[in-house]
Amino acid sequence: MNSLLLLWNLLVEFLTVNAKPLLQVLLLPGMAFILGFAIIAVWFERKFLARAMLRVGPYYCGKRSGVLQVFADFIKLFLKEIIVPEKTDFLFFAAMPVLVSTLPALALVLIPFDQNWVLWNMGGLSLPMFFAIAGLAPLLPIFAGWAANNKYSFIGAFRVAYMYISAEIPLVLCGAAVAIMAGSFDLLKIVEAQQNMWFAVPQFLGFVIFFLGVIIAAERTPFDIPVAEVELVLGWRTEYSGILFGFTMMAEYVMFQAWTLLFITLYLGGFNGPNIFGNPTISHIFWFLAKFAFLVVVIILIRTVYPRLRLDQMLKLGWKYMTPLAVLNLVIVLAMKMWGIY
Amino acid sequence: MSFLKKLIKPFLVVAPYVFRNSQTVSYPTERPIFAERFRGRHKLYFDRCISCNTCARVCPCNSIKLVEVEGREGKYPQIDYQTCSICGYCVEFCPKNALEFTDLVEYSETDRSRLLYSPERLAVVPDLKEILPMLKRRTERYLTKTEIKYRKVKDV
Amino acid sequence: MTKHFIEPDVMRISWGPQHPMSGQTRILLDVDGEKVHKIIADLGFTHRGIEKILENRTFLQGIIPIERMVMADTANIGLCYIHAIEESLGIEVPERAQWIRSLLCEMGRINSHLYAFGLQAEATGYFPAVFLWTTTDRTVLLNLFEQLTGARWSFNFNLPGGVFKDLPEGFEDNVIEGVHYLRRRIQDYWDAMVENAVFEIRCDDVAVLKPEDAIRLGATGPVLRGSGIAMDVRKDEPYAAYADLDFEVITEPACDSMARTKVRFKEIGQSLSMMEQIANEIPGGPIKTRVPLFARSKPGEVFSRVETARGEMGIHMFTVNGMNPYRVKILSPTLRNMYVFERLCELDEMLVADVPVVINSIDPWYLDSDR
Repeated sequence: MNSLLLLWNLLVEFLTVNAKPLLQVLLLPGMAFILGFAIIAVWFERKFLARAMLRVGPYYCGKRSGVLQVFADFIKLFLKEIIVPEKTDFLFFAAMPVLVSTLPALALVLIPFDQNWVLWNMGGLSLPMFFAIAGLAPLLPIFAGWAANNKYSFIGAFRVAYMYISAEIPLVLCGAAVAIMAGSFDLLKIVEAQQNMWFAVPQFLGFVIFFLGVIIAAERTPFDIPVAEVELVLGWRTEYSGILFGFTMMAEYVMFQAWTLLFITLYLGGFNGPNIFGNPTISHIFWFLAKFAFLVVVIILIRTVYPRLRLDQMLKLGWKYMTPLAVLNLVIVLAMKMWGIY
Repeated sequence: MSFLKKLIKPFLVVAPYVFRNSQTVSYPTERPIFAERFRGRHKLYFDRCISCNTCARVCPCNSIKLVEVEGREGKYPQIDYQTCSICGYCVEFCPKNALEFTDLVEYSETDRSRLLYSPERLAVVPDLKEILPMLKRRTERYLTKTEIKYRKVKDV
Repeated sequence: MTKHFIEPDVMRISWGPQHPMSGQTRILLDVDGEKVHKIIADLGFTHRGIEKILENRTFLQGIIPIERMVMADTANIGLCYIHAIEESLGIEVPERAQWIRSLLCEMGRINSHLYAFGLQAEATGYFPAVFLWTTTDRTVLLNLFEQLTGARWSFNFNLPGGVFKDLPEGFEDNVIEGVHYLRRRIQDYWDAMVENAVFEIRCDDVAVLKPEDAIRLGATGPVLRGSGIAMDVRKDEPYAAYADLDFEVITEPACDSMARTKVRFKEIGQSLSMMEQIANEIPGGPIKTRVPLFARSKPGEVFSRVETARGEMGIHMFTVNGMNPYRVKILSPTLRNMYVFERLCELDEMLVADVPVVINSIDPWYLDSDR
């Protein structure tokens, strides 16, 4: 009896202390969360857009609601033949889709869901680390576009290059302004500094610019210029078929997820929220996911309403409007900090 | 200022569409009722046809040919639906109104030779429930102030 | 296409038949970075030989192939051929038939303009909402066609000498109900699409076509009226009932793609008011004069023209003693507008991202240019 109790205590201690990273990797914010979000987001977007277009979305798979349609498409993509064109650079061609959907996942694990629920706790370096990893992500479509040996892919690749050069600078400047206001680069301390008031209120300009930057970085309409279907047949994704195509589709959602979670952490208070479940950990996770769901619906609605911008118009927006306004935002934050207002 | 108004107003116009009903006819279980003059598959009346060959001469696609039928005298039209363009000239210009339009549009087959309808096959119009076993309702379209809606007329 | 020389430092992209948005055509673009140097339109993918088919059919049978030239407004095109037959055989048409023909023509025009509007929305990347709304609203018009003629888009309802059948019971009330419904829907399109900030940024000042260039290159239809020139066959040489109807020719002073889209949009409003006038004021009387089924013609030559939704269409017909025409030559509006499109990249700077927007503001239908 005593030995059984000892065994039980050992098991509980193992699960909560030693194996907690394992739970985090498998469940939240790990594989189940990322894959689950990709599946639910694809289904939700198809149904939501169908409603705005006055039709029903997927209907027959899964008893009139179409939930199994995503799984059906995934299985179909697995079983299709992967066609590789003749003169491509095969190593880059086959490796890029896999990398472009897993690299943003590496950036995602930095984000805290609760004080004790961070998978990769880098302490004072977590915000710059996020920008470093997520800033590597646009290189991969450039490699993929070159490796495919196709004119459409090539044009898509250099459009990605133009877009990211102009969009990264305002994003980094706004991140720096938030770090100055919170007093540290650590994401946990940034969230703790927002317990009284979210940073969206004193830094309203930064809030708007970072929101635009999130849509640009996630490559969604009105900024999905590298993958403009009406001009270039799918840009840098043109030559992919089978499961490689499935990876490129998933990449869009993983990137979107990483940047949106960072946006909530920096400007909307992270996981802060009133304690309604009794256990603070579960409450924090619930509030984080609720804010995330709200933002996803808003960004999908923006897709419904606005057409797509042209490349030079987007560059003009980035260089002429977003960068000076981000510098102005930084100056305002420095002024507030110097005169002790905040 | 008008730029800001043009940015916000489309949002307010488009977003309420998410709450509207869809305008889809869920086909094998519902089928709309077509108008009276609708042109579908033909129907032949044996006792009115006088074998005058007008329908074959006026058809612009050369789809009608008069053939013999066993058990009856005279020749009757056979229609080839691979080339028929459902223009309505044979129905309109027949002097005795021996050909008529029904509202069947489901005549797809798996074998091309079955698309050549002999006169006996043209004379028989099958019931809708035999062709579409999943059919439950017949609906009709009507307009409200903001949308096109479908209402049920009868159960099948 | 090897006879067209490619300059160095320039990449030749084929906006080709295997493309999500190109339609049934291939357009070669010579591109340097993002700027387009030269456009070569390679038409002819859907050539069916309609002019040769018409030589082997009688006059009545010939209406069927020619109506399938453009699927969106078939009434206008069939009317062009019927005017040619009536002029060469000397047939008179009663007044009630003329008014019914105008009703069909205007409904076809609205049909085609709604479809073009939806394609313009899809071309600027605005796929979700407006394209499918216009497709749904066309079912109102298709329903009206079905009640009147029996078919939904290719209804050979016009006959040399009149129309086939009279209006059914209660048809005028259905027309007026449809007109009121479409007027409310068009207000939604204006707010959501034309007055959208991003759509204006995308379409303003793109591919400006000045009036003297438009006349010199031979543009027609909304392309010409979007450059400020008021030419419309319905006003210059009235046919059917247009001399009695009250409408105005829409022009826009700005000569860019936005102006052409706005011209089409406002023409829908004009056509709706014309439909209402016809439904209220249609005169009584007979609907056809009796013409023999296989009529014979005398030798002669005749030319007739009609304003379709895309521009002015003409038919030049030669007849001899017989039941078939000897030679029919069709002048299509899309072919003339595609020639203007090829010259647009020299007149004004155009980027690769502008190509779908400009093409859909010209509104081609490739079965029309290839016949």
